[in-house]
Amino acid sequence: MKQILVVDDSPTIRRMVRASLARSLPAVQFLEAGSGLEAIERLAVGAISLIVLDLNMPDMHGLEVLNFVRSHQKYRHVPIIVLTTRGDEGSRTAALGAGASAYLTKPFTPEALGNEARRLFSGGDLSASA
Amino acid sequence: MAEEFLDRFLSEYYAEGEEHLAVIRRALLTLDDAVGQPRPDAAVTEELFRSFHSIKGIAAMVEHREAELLAHEMESYLRALRDGQVRLSTPGVEGLIAGTQLLEQSVAAHRTSAPQPDIASAVSTLHALVADDAGATAAGDAGPVPENPAAAVASWRCVFTPSPELLGRGVNVDVVRSRLRDCGQILRARPLIGEGGAITFEFLVSGEPDVATREAWLADGMACTAADAAEPSPAPAVTERATAILSAGHYVRVDLTKLDDLMRMIGDLVILRARLVDALAPVEAHVPAHVWRPLQETNAGIERQLRDLREGVMRVRLVPVGEIFRRMPFVVRDLARDSGRRVRVEMTGQETHIDKFLVEQMMDPVLHLVRNSIAHGLETADERIAAGKRPEGTLLLAASAAGEIATIEIGDDGRGIDAERVVARAGAAGVPVPAVVDDAALLELICSPGFSTREESDRASGRGFGMAVVRRTVQELGGSLRLWTEAGRGTRFTIDLPLTLAITDALLARVGHQMFAVPQASVREVIELEESAVQRLEDGEVAPYRGLALPLVRLSQRLGIASVPERRLHAFVLGQGAAAVGLVVDRIVGQREIVVRSAVDPLIRVEGIAGATDLGDGRVVLILDAAAIARGVRRQGGAAARAATA
Repeated sequence: MKQILVVDDSPTIRRMVRASLARSLPAVQFLEAGSGLEAIERLAVGAISLIVLDLNMPDMHGLEVLNFVRSHQKYRHVPIIVLTTRGDEGSRTAALGAGASAYLTKPFTPEALGNEARRLFSGGDLSASA
Repeated sequence: MAEEFLDRFLSEYYAEGEEHLAVIRRALLTLDDAVGQPRPDAAVTEELFRSFHSIKGIAAMVEHREAELLAHEMESYLRALRDGQVRLSTPGVEGLIAGTQLLEQSVAAHRTSAPQPDIASAVSTLHALVADDAGATAAGDAGPVPENPAAAVASWRCVFTPSPELLGRGVNVDVVRSRLRDCGQILRARPLIGEGGAITFEFLVSGEPDVATREAWLADGMACTAADAAEPSPAPAVTERATAILSAGHYVRVDLTKLDDLMRMIGDLVILRARLVDALAPVEAHVPAHVWRPLQETNAGIERQLRDLREGVMRVRLVPVGEIFRRMPFVVRDLARDSGRRVRVEMTGQETHIDKFLVEQMMDPVLHLVRNSIAHGLETADERIAAGKRPEGTLLLAASAAGEIATIEIGDDGRGIDAERVVARAGAAGVPVPAVVDDAALLELICSPGFSTREESDRASGRGFGMAVVRRTVQELGGSLRLWTEAGRGTRFTIDLPLTLAITDALLARVGHQMFAVPQASVREVIELEESAVQRLEDGEVAPYRGLALPLVRLSQRLGIASVPERRLHAFVLGQGAAAVGLVVDRIVGQREIVVRSAVDPLIRVEGIAGATDLGDGRVVLILDAAAIARGVRRQGGAAARAATA
C-alpha cells in the first residue's frame, strides 16, 4: 500500500490533509510527522510515496526539509506537495526552485489537494513506492 | 470549501486555537517585561511568531477570515521583530495584546455563531507598526543579529540512528530530542546522510549525560561522545528552546464530552457495584467460609480498581488553575491603566490542577472578583501613600488543593470593604440587615440579588455579572464562597470547590424513614450529643462544642419530616470556625461512594438540596448542600449562638 507522509506541526491541519486525500485516494496509508526531523526520520525508516509538507515548522523550515530530501539519490524522486499560508507567496518560487512537485496555499479545497496527489501518482515518477 | 467538510474540523480548530492562545498569553507577559531592552528574548519572539502562524494556518483552512487576518498581522510584526527590522516598543506590545484579545473574541464569536468583532482598526494599527518602524531602522541594523545569550559550549555530540524497530518501540527522533533537552541545551540538531542514503541525526548538547544513561541510550540507537574541543560551538538553535506544544505522538486531544461519557459509565459501574454489595450481604450466612472469602476478596478488588479507574479518568480531566490566572494580568493591566492605579499581580499555586469544567465555569467569577478588587478595593497611588502603604497595590491570585477540595483565593491589600456603606445601601435596597455584621454577614449582603452597585458601575465592575452571580456559580459547582476583609488592610475572597463533580464519598444519614447523603468533604466532624446538653434559646438551639456554642439545625424540622428520635442525638459538624453549625439527624448509617446527579432545573431546586443519587437498589437519596444549610442556620440562629457564648 502506498504511504503518504503528512508533515505539519498542527494536528488539525494534518487531519484535514488526511481527510482531503482519503476522499480521492482510497487505498493509501497515512503517516504523520509534527516536525522536520520527524519527517526525515519517517522517510529514512519506511518507503514513502508522497510527502505533503508545511513550510513553517518549529525545528526545521520546510525548505530545509525539501533541500535535504532532494539532495540524495535515494530520496530525490519522492513527490512533495508544499503547503503554505497566505502572505507567504514569496516562498513559492523558492519551494518550486528547490524541487517541490506542487504548491498549494491554505485554504485549499479537498478536491485541489486530491487532484494534485492523483496527478503526481499517475505521473509514473514513483519508483520508490512499495 | 464544502461546509460539511469544514464542520468536522471546527471543534479541533477551537481546541487547537485555545492551546496556541494560552501559549501566546504567557509569552506576551514575558514580552511586556522586555520593553526597553535592546532585544527581547529570541525564544519568546519565536514562540509567539510560531503560535500566531499556526492559528493563521488553521483559521485559513476553516475559512475564518477575521482570525486569519489578525494572526497574519501579528505574525508579520513578530517576524520583523525577530529579524531585527523593528524594535520592541510599548505600542508594539500593546498592539499585540489588543490584537490577541480581539483574536480571542473573534474565535469565541465564531464558536457561538455571534457577529464577528470589527477588526479593521486593530489590523491597520498592527500593520502600521511594521511599516513605520521598519523604515526608521532599516538602514541601521538589517538582518538578524547572531544570538548567543548563554554562550553555551557544545560538550557532547550525540548521533541517533533511527530504525523501524526503534520506531516500533516508540523511540523516535522526537523522544531523543526531549531526552537530550533534559540534560542540557541543544545547540544544533540536524539530519545527516551517509553511504547508500542512510540517515542519522546529529545533536550538539551543552550538558553531560551520565555514564549509565549513555550506556542505556546505546540500545536505543543513541551514541554520545564528548565533543571535539575543536568543534565549533554554533549559536543555539533558538527554536530548540521554544516549546513545541504540539509535537506529534505524545498527546491526544479528547473532546470533553467523551470524558463526560466515560465518567458517566464509571458512575453506572459504581451504582452497579453498590447493588452487588447489597446482593452479597445476605449470601454470607448461607455459604461456607471458603466459598465466601474469594467472593469477598473479589468484591473488594473490584472496589479498589473502580476507585483507581475513577481517579484515573478524573486526573485526565484536570488542568492547571493557571489557565484562569494567566488571563488576569492583561485585565489588570488595562484596568489599572484606565483607573490610574499601580497594581502588581502575585500568583501562587498556578500548577494546582482542577477539573477542566470548573476552569471554564470559574473564569467569569474570578474575572469579576479581580475587577472588583481594582475598581473598589485598591486605592490610587496617592491614597496609598497617604495611608502609609506602598504606592503599588498588590492583587493576589492563589490556588491550592487539599484532599478533595481545591481553593482559589482572590485578594488585595486595598482599603477593605466599608461595612457601613454596604449596610446603608442594603437597607436602602430593602435587603434585610442582621444586627451584627461580620464578614459572613457582609458577604451575605453583597451577594443578595437586590444589592446593586449600579450607582458606581463603571468599566471595571458592572457588565451584568454581580456578586450574586459569582456566588450562585460557585454554589452550583458544589463549592462555597468566603470573605475576609479588614478596613485599611484589604479584602480576600476564598472559593472552595470540590475537585470533581461526578462521584464523591458521602456519609449517609437517616431522618424518620428518609435517607440523605452529605458529601464527606463538607463534613468536619461527626458528633454525638445528649439531648440534655442542648440549650433552647429564643431563636434556635445550641450545643456545647469545643468550648463554643454550636448552633444546631434539626433536619427533620428543616424539611418537615417526622423524626424517629433516639436517646442520643447525632450531628454532622458543617462549616469552619465561627461559621460552624451542627446538622442533627436521627442516625448515621454509613459511608458510601455516590454518583452525584445535580439538581439544575430551577423548578425542582430547593435551597439546601444539591442533587440526588441512586444507591443501586433503586432507592433515590437526596444529597444535602451543606454550605446552604449552614448559611440558613447562621441567618436564623446566629444571634442565638452569640448570645449563648456571651
